[in-house]
Amino acid sequence: MLQFPLWKVILIVLTLAWGVVMALPNVVNMSGAPGFMPREGVNLGLDLRGGVYLEMEIRSEDVIGGRLEVFARDVRTALARTDSADPVTHLAEVNGQTMTIKLTRADEAGNFPVEAAIARIDKVNGPLEGGLAGGKTYEVTRAGPDSILVTVPENSENLMMADALAKTETIVRRRVDPDGVAEISITPSGVDRLVLEAPGEPDPERLKSLLSRDGRMTFNIVDDSPSAITAAQAGVVKPGYRLLSGPTTGDLLVRSIPEIVGSDIANASQGNDEANRPQINFRLNSNGARKFFETTRVNTNKRFAIVLDDVIMSAPNINEPIAGGNVRITGDFTMEEAQDLAAIISAGEMPAKLQFLDQRTVSATLGRDSINAGIRASVIGILLVAGFMILAYNLLGIFAVASLAANVVLIFGALSGLGATLTLPGIAGIILTIGMAVDANVLVFERIREEQQSGRSLLTSVQAGYERALSTILDANITTLIAAAILYLLGSGPVKGFAATLGIGILTSVFTAFVVTRWLTVMWIKTFKTKKLSV
Amino acid sequence: MLMKIWPKETHLKFMNLRMAGTLLSVVLLTASVFFLATRGLNFGVDFAGGTAMEINATETVNEGTVRAAIPFSADVNAAVGTDARRIVVVKFGEAPEALLGPEFQALTTAEKAERASGATNELVVRSLVEKLGIDPGTDLLKNDTVGPKVSKELFRDGITALVVALILMLAYIWYRFEWQFSIGAVAALAHDVIITLGVFSFLQLEFNLTTIAALLTIIGYSMNDTVVVFDRVREERRKYKKMPDRDVIDLALNSTLSRTLLTSGTTLLALLAIFFLGGPVLRGMSFALIWGIVIGTYSSIFIASSIVLSLGMDLTQKTVDDTPGFQGVG
Repeated sequence: MLQFPLWKVILIVLTLAWGVVMALPNVVNMSGAPGFMPREGVNLGLDLRGGVYLEMEIRSEDVIGGRLEVFARDVRTALARTDSADPVTHLAEVNGQTMTIKLTRADEAGNFPVEAAIARIDKVNGPLEGGLAGGKTYEVTRAGPDSILVTVPENSENLMMADALAKTETIVRRRVDPDGVAEISITPSGVDRLVLEAPGEPDPERLKSLLSRDGRMTFNIVDDSPSAITAAQAGVVKPGYRLLSGPTTGDLLVRSIPEIVGSDIANASQGNDEANRPQINFRLNSNGARKFFETTRVNTNKRFAIVLDDVIMSAPNINEPIAGGNVRITGDFTMEEAQDLAAIISAGEMPAKLQFLDQRTVSATLGRDSINAGIRASVIGILLVAGFMILAYNLLGIFAVASLAANVVLIFGALSGLGATLTLPGIAGIILTIGMAVDANVLVFERIREEQQSGRSLLTSVQAGYERALSTILDANITTLIAAAILYLLGSGPVKGFAATLGIGILTSVFTAFVVTRWLTVMWIKTFKTKKLSV
Repeated sequence: MLMKIWPKETHLKFMNLRMAGTLLSVVLLTASVFFLATRGLNFGVDFAGGTAMEINATETVNEGTVRAAIPFSADVNAAVGTDARRIVVVKFGEAPEALLGPEFQALTTAEKAERASGATNELVVRSLVEKLGIDPGTDLLKNDTVGPKVSKELFRDGITALVVALILMLAYIWYRFEWQFSIGAVAALAHDVIITLGVFSFLQLEFNLTTIAALLTIIGYSMNDTVVVFDRVREERRKYKKMPDRDVIDLALNSTLSRTLLTSGTTLLALLAIFFLGGPVLRGMSFALIWGIVIGTYSSIFIASSIVLSLGMDLTQKTVDDTPGFQGVG
């Protein structure tokens, strides 16, 4: 306990030096420092720097429904293949997490070709994504004499959710930060959640309005026969169609299953029309352009609705087949609206609508106030504890205070080095640790005092004090460490920050109290040949 | 210097006071359970859901004008915020559906349940901007909305954390000591947690995520205190094999007393600094911690130790030398 061979001393000094180097950027501007030195201080949580925290969720029924709608288009192609002499006419309806396909034409005997249709659908029903367990993406079964039911098996659903969450993450990033310069963090949480943290002073309402749009861009064939629209307005919607409206078009019936979807769009940008009014230009990718040409060829003289999030933006007439895939939307846009819409269309369609579960905003002003209050409380707290220790233990107290200082440096070094985030409760955690850090010192000092009282020499007392206090110190700190670990694992946000500083603080305080203070004490006694310490 | 005032040795007969201690604890526990049952806890938005806002107060923005600007009944109070800033604190749940607009009313019931808090928040911000001209970027110091889903999860996770931490700590004590000590420690911890909850209920202090963190820290601290006393009890027990249990425990309590008071003292000093200077966000947390240190120190002496005394110690069970001992010194 009293021997400090050279390697131990080097290790102690290196640890302390590491703490100083890592903690340095918190107090000094390190931008001019050599490359091997750390430049970043501790990350400040949103509660200390201000910012917006959003927790969002995608719902599985939305994701699956969206996928089924895409599958419906493949089904239509499969059942109406051009090489088939006998196309199977049908209507497809997506209902939550299932899709019903109803055949509409029976053969002479009055039977519907259900088995033939299932066989054809199975050809476009691809293997499960990832393909590890085998199996098909969808389960296609006969549901009646003229109907087929498409359901999504559980493992397929899991893959779809994972895929949807990853896509959503990319889309959210492209919408809120199209240039990739903002310091916005977007992290997935669980299977269906995203957490967005935007520090500084972003406008939470703008963020939410950018994110609350699905960006579901579709092109649907229109039925604008007045009788069908009137019937639909009265509540009788033609099967396979939906009644939508738009600011410039009024109510129109459009086919439920779109011809062109968001994934067919290569990019979008804001442009101007001939009269110099803002418009949105977009270009379809090769697959989209081909489908667009095919659809416009088959549906010449019908109207084509351009729909964004169930609102018809425009519904021009198809005068002739259109090749090339360049499309534009004109309308009553302001420049900003056109830019935002172009960003939303470019970023692509959300696999499912985002639900906002939890929204927390802290202004930068309040963050600054909190930091000031936190620093003030820490400084006063440390001074009080230091004064108390020196009053109680004199010279040993000074050693304890020195190791307390080392402790603070190491905590900040570790927080910076580990990239942990400092929150306001985290500051409270540091102050609490500092209060409790002296406990290990106190346990040892009390033992030293007892040993001196029973007449032992100083060195023997110091040795005995450290030896006897060791198990108590370990037991006591391990229990607190358990609490910190549980808080870190199960806690969220501010609580995690508190747990991180508490846990790091326990480790550094045991090190400083048990190693640094001891080293200082032994060095002092050996150097000055002290015979008695007043404790 | 301070230690010169403190007597070198104390011989307080703690265990003679244990009936009084037990009585006091029973009274406090009964009162806590009574308050928890009748008043319940004042859950913050973390657990209750809804919105909590802090608005910078100015000449035109005050308690009255804010209350008038919100189109439904909300809980509006003037308060002093961090750095002595005058603020208006607003709390509300969900606005009546009629106020949330046709777009909201068209949603399904499930969607309404999820989006009502968010929609209400937007409605209030809009009214405050229109009627009072506040700037959401700078005057709205804080705006937290927690939906019903997340608040339920946060509550569940908080309680899970509490229970898991308790079980792990007990397992650790069981491993390090005898079962009598483990029971003494559990009882002391349960005592501390229930009485702290009782105080939160009696004073109707806001109970939120940071309070759970504070509770866990109290548990850790109280356990820390208990372990120090137990370590000493075990040591003295081995040293004085003929001494009655009661005297052994008194001896251990007395020899750890100055440590207990010193550590509690420094920790309390640090916490008092947070309580008075750390701003309102940390006030609830530091209050819980201050209270927890007082009750944790008390329970180590009067609950944990007196239960060990009642159950009796049987140190023949664990003969492992847990303390590293005192070799080569003499």
